[in-house]
Amino acid sequence: MERMKPAFRQPQAAEDRQAAVSVRGVSMVYDGVHAVRDASFDLAQGKFLTILGPSGSGKTTLLRLIAGFLEPTSGEIFINGRAVSAVPPHRRSIGMVFQKLALFPHMTAAQNVAFPLKMRRRDARTIPERVERYLELVRLGGLGGRRVHELSGGQQQRVAIARALVFEPDLLLLDEPLAALDRKLREEMQLEFRRIQRQLGVTTINVTHDQREALVVSDEVIVMEAGMIEQNASPLDTYRAPATSFVANFLGVTNRLSGVVTSLDGDRIGLLAGDHLMVGAAAGPGGSLQIGARASAAIRAEQIRISPDLFALSGLETVLSGTVSDVIFEGDRVVYEILTVLPETGPLRVFDHDVGSRRQYRAGDAVHLGWNARDLFVYKADPEPAATKPDRGD
Amino acid sequence: MDALEAAAAVVWPARFAAAVPYLMLAPAVLLVGLLVIGLAYIGDTSLRTLDTSTFLLSDDYTLANYRRALSESLFRTVAARSLQASLIVTAVTLLLAFPYAYLMVRTPSAALRKLLLIALFLPFFIGQVVRAYGWLIILGNQGMVNDALSLVGVAPLRLLYNYPSVLFGLIQYMLPFAVLMLAPALTAIPEELEAAAHSLGANWLRAFWHVVLPLARPGLVGAGLVVLTLTLTDFAMPAILGGGSQDFIANAIYDQFFRTSDQGLGATLALLLVAAGSLLVGLVLYLFGAGTLAMGRRR
Ligand SMILES: Nc1ncnc2c1ncn2[C@@H]1O[C@H](COP(=O)(O)OP(=O)(O)OP(=O)(O)O)[C@@H](O)[C@H]1O
Ligand SMILES: [Mg+2]
Repeated sequence: MERMKPAFRQPQAAEDRQAAVSVRGVSMVYDGVHAVRDASFDLAQGKFLTILGPSGSGKTTLLRLIAGFLEPTSGEIFINGRAVSAVPPHRRSIGMVFQKLALFPHMTAAQNVAFPLKMRRRDARTIPERVERYLELVRLGGLGGRRVHELSGGQQQRVAIARALVFEPDLLLLDEPLAALDRKLREEMQLEFRRIQRQLGVTTINVTHDQREALVVSDEVIVMEAGMIEQNASPLDTYRAPATSFVANFLGVTNRLSGVVTSLDGDRIGLLAGDHLMVGAAAGPGGSLQIGARASAAIRAEQIRISPDLFALSGLETVLSGTVSDVIFEGDRVVYEILTVLPETGPLRVFDHDVGSRRQYRAGDAVHLGWNARDLFVYKADPEPAATKPDRGD
Repeated sequence: MDALEAAAAVVWPARFAAAVPYLMLAPAVLLVGLLVIGLAYIGDTSLRTLDTSTFLLSDDYTLANYRRALSESLFRTVAARSLQASLIVTAVTLLLAFPYAYLMVRTPSAALRKLLLIALFLPFFIGQVVRAYGWLIILGNQGMVNDALSLVGVAPLRLLYNYPSVLFGLIQYMLPFAVLMLAPALTAIPEELEAAAHSLGANWLRAFWHVVLPLARPGLVGAGLVVLTLTLTDFAMPAILGGGSQDFIANAIYDQFFRTSDQGLGATLALLLVAAGSLLVGLVLYLFGAGTLAMGRRR
């Protein structure tokens, strides 16, 4: 399968100066396990990058490489233009918030926040004032005297953030610090991260497997799979123009189809799935599709129109019929699972678009589905059927 | 299942359930109770003096034994020696055990961890007395060390029957206890805390000092207390490696009971040893807090 090739491999002085972080051809092999493969990306000063990927895709490893807890097997990492492989973690000026927070339990919140200042031998007289300022920044003013275990989960998160930021690091690293929180608190803290990050302008790399978080908070998103960077793009592009079928299936609620390429007309691809001829848009690295070759395609649940009436779908380039097999009520939306005659495809998941119609389908109803050619992403066929199920965020 | 539960309810009604925790405490209470009875008996004996003509204990109570124990220079020397030894042995043992335990817990190499664990447990299978005899063989005048020294032309050294050899034997004996008590305490410190300390600007030494050491305190206090009390009351090492010249309190007590048969004085010394030990433990707990023994509510 074609992977995105890094745009450049050789460090170039001009780019180094502006990139806060520059990862060049970094690989990490634990005895036998290839955790990160040839990762390259640049992150500009003040940007918020999220590394998104399923469990075991190498996100933590990449972050620990940048933090300096691990040494890359090959490749080099530059921070503010300086190669850091010889710099130990405590000299890297990186604030890190760990997955399990790693607050010091024998200290108060304020002592935790003061710790990096003490370690950096800042003027002791200025420390309390500074600690208080950062506790206020994370809205914990007045709670500095509390022991760590006397704080709620959300408050502990805030202490960890304050501690990672108080010494004004060049770079802030977040390793899924929100994973343990319940959904409501997590969404609140995501916005909180964003607010603080914008206020301080600190370059940030966040790791998560929560796609919603990645889309909400980031300037840039890197999607990783099996140690490889699949795509590095803005949240919008990551969602709207997934570069690989993995990315397409990992984000959103996506239906996976497969078929044989019948025609190539620029971006428009003819695809024969079973007896159905459909039209899709070429996605990912161009030129990889060939007539007669197998291809996989992806269509998002929200891009499929559903109607009992075939005429309502006129104008859509692909139309097929099916039977409702399941109705899943999710509160803000209804998800229908529709059985079709398409081969190698489970029931298609479809959102009820037309909320205004108040129409409800029931299992067994015969319906028609339709979509636009531009919404069906066609990729070169995966070597094997994907083992990874798309993660729907929560 | 219901029938079983019904039968159980007849044998053991639910209202008895509250008694279960206390019932489980019963063996411990019984054991401590027996100990208290024994202690009371010893207390009674300690107040009677030995009539050297009849070798019987006097019928009336007197504090003469306590006066003797506290004033005679022999006992003072023995007490000071045991106390000093227990402090030195505790300090040195903790100093040696800490890096050992730390390495054992933190090493990424499974093979090294196993090796360290085996090296730790092996001496456990060899009792204290046998181990002391082992040292006799190694350190004696015709021992292995002196044999080796004679090969390079050094005259035999007197390596045994002195204070340092007793301390040496004790430290070697106590090390596994200390490591075994420290290891869980160190395991309980998440490695991530150390990584966090590094990323916050602490070098290895400062991360150790400000994070690992304070969090290891419960383990250090526990291990320290065990080594302290075991050393203070030790008998075999001073008896064998000290050769009678380096008696500890326990040796003095033994002498009173089984050599001079002065059970009164022996009982007195025993009680004073209990008192000294309790005082020392109390002092350590006062200084470092009972909470450090994980008795407080801590996470
Ligand atoms: N210390 C290690 N020794 C050997 N293999 C490791 C080690 N740490 C991670 N791995 C392996 O490297 C791969 C990537 O692990 P990593 O922790 O980076 O994943 P992740 O993307 O952070 O996953 P998660 O979302 O579950 O945290 C996994 O296959 C993992 O088993
Ligand atoms: Mg991880």
